[in-house]
Amino acid sequence: MDIYLPIAEVSVNWPFLVLLGATVGFVSGLFGIGGGFLMAPILIFMGIPPAVAVASQASHVVASSTSGVINYAGKKAIDFKIGGVMAVGGVLGALLGVEIFRYLRLLGQADLAVALSYLLFLGAIGLMMLYESLGAILRRVRGEVVPHKERRRPLWLYGLPLKMRFPRSGLYISAIPPLGLGLLVGILSAIMGVGGGFILVPAMLYVLRMRASVVVGTSLFQIIVTTAITTVLQAGRNQTVDVVLSTILLLGGVVGAQYGARWSGKFRAEELRAVLGLIVLLVGIQMGLELFVRPSDLFAFAPGVN
Amino acid sequence: MMQLPPPPPAVEAPAPSPSIATTDQVRVAAALTNAEVRVDSSFRGASIVLYGAVFNPTDTPADVVVVVRGPDGPVRLVKKTRNTGVWLNSRPVLFEGAPGFYMTATSRPLSDIADFGQLRREGIGLDHLRINAPEESRTVTRYGVRDVVVSRLGEDYLDWRRAVIRLREDAALYNTDPTGVTFVDRGLFRAQIELPAVAPTGKYEAEVWLFQDGQPVSATQMDLTVEKVGIERDIYEFSQNRPWTYGILCVLLAAFTGWAASRVFRRN
Repeated sequence: MDIYLPIAEVSVNWPFLVLLGATVGFVSGLFGIGGGFLMAPILIFMGIPPAVAVASQASHVVASSTSGVINYAGKKAIDFKIGGVMAVGGVLGALLGVEIFRYLRLLGQADLAVALSYLLFLGAIGLMMLYESLGAILRRVRGEVVPHKERRRPLWLYGLPLKMRFPRSGLYISAIPPLGLGLLVGILSAIMGVGGGFILVPAMLYVLRMRASVVVGTSLFQIIVTTAITTVLQAGRNQTVDVVLSTILLLGGVVGAQYGARWSGKFRAEELRAVLGLIVLLVGIQMGLELFVRPSDLFAFAPGVN
Repeated sequence: MMQLPPPPPAVEAPAPSPSIATTDQVRVAAALTNAEVRVDSSFRGASIVLYGAVFNPTDTPADVVVVVRGPDGPVRLVKKTRNTGVWLNSRPVLFEGAPGFYMTATSRPLSDIADFGQLRREGIGLDHLRINAPEESRTVTRYGVRDVVVSRLGEDYLDWRRAVIRLREDAALYNTDPTGVTFVDRGLFRAQIELPAVAPTGKYEAEVWLFQDGQPVSATQMDLTVEKVGIERDIYEFSQNRPWTYGILCVLLAAFTGWAASRVFRRN
């Protein structure tokens, strides 16, 4: 049941990969995220070279997000206008991120950058999500009245130029914050091999205060554009995209994503967020642990020669 | 006892022909069961048998040493160091060329077969493997003398070298087998070459040395090719030769699969 991957140059168990793709796809459909933050660490753990893992699973994210986007587009739950603005930022960020990643690999610091960004971003966002959603669950259990919701956005959002109307999101704000958000996510998508949904969704909800019903679909739309560009760039610049690996992953992934999207209606939003927050936090800690635990071997091969 | 200088390695393995020389010369001949390893989608490593014959008209026993080396390639290594509680990577050190695969098989430990100097001269054994040292060096002023050239690694050099070998050993790419050569009959021996799935593709060289009293008396050399075939090769070459087209096709394939899945599921 093993298959040899032509670019990664390792032999892997393919039914396990299909299962992995399906599981991550399910999570992705359920929470409306790309799921890359889960996939990349597992692939690396399986012995696939990190550069190949990061680049190949970006194309898996494209596939599972595509089927997600089609689902949400049917429900008219995507704001293509703000998604397009973020995608422009995302493309710029991906261009920048692939070059940063090349440079970090040359310095031998790529794994440090990956570990640090996982720890910082996933740790912080996981904690925030967990705190917020557990609070909401506790209040509901105690039967307390939900405190008056501050619907105010940060004031600096109004001071910026280039104001645009985004009717579907119920927004009239400057184009700079969504553009900057896209840029950040684009860079992360190249370095961490993630779509960036775990940053996009909270930022769109709590910073931009978009209409909640369009958040997930719009973030998936932006993720498709960014990861598609990232995949092409990684293939073109670094030759690290393994099409066999990504095809196996996405066969499971698209099916999982469909089921995930159907199941998402069965749970309360805050419960979903609590679970996602926990997963995000655990992955962040797991990846960050290597910074603090004494490595079993002080020496390691640095990828990225030739 | 006859003492012959080590002859230059032959390009092709001479077939064990019944030459006249075998009656009075110590000679070794060997062949591989499989000189071409084909890496296809079911590749999970390969096991190749090297067999050969020792023609030894003398009374002195001869030792067989089998050395297989894979294509050379640069190796970059980092060392983790602890800075204020956090493990960070040092600057990477580049070794210009280390074989991508290296194994020795013998019938008894190498150190019993020949002495240190001899092995070092021939570059046989993991301890004597030629790994080109990092070119990087710097000039410093030391004891008032200007422009003293120091290798950046200095005394740590051996640690770094050992680390290359140890990490490759962990990946089953480097191997020392002191019981790898077995004699099936007087003068007839076999050795097994185990290529892991991560073995690099390219040209490999298998050498068979014959040692008598710690001196190399005969050697023969064979080529072994490990190459990708079929769809594996096509995909690999496509990704290398037309990387941008390849990337775009990957994305289209992914998007199409996603679209197809959502169509299928909507119908159900």
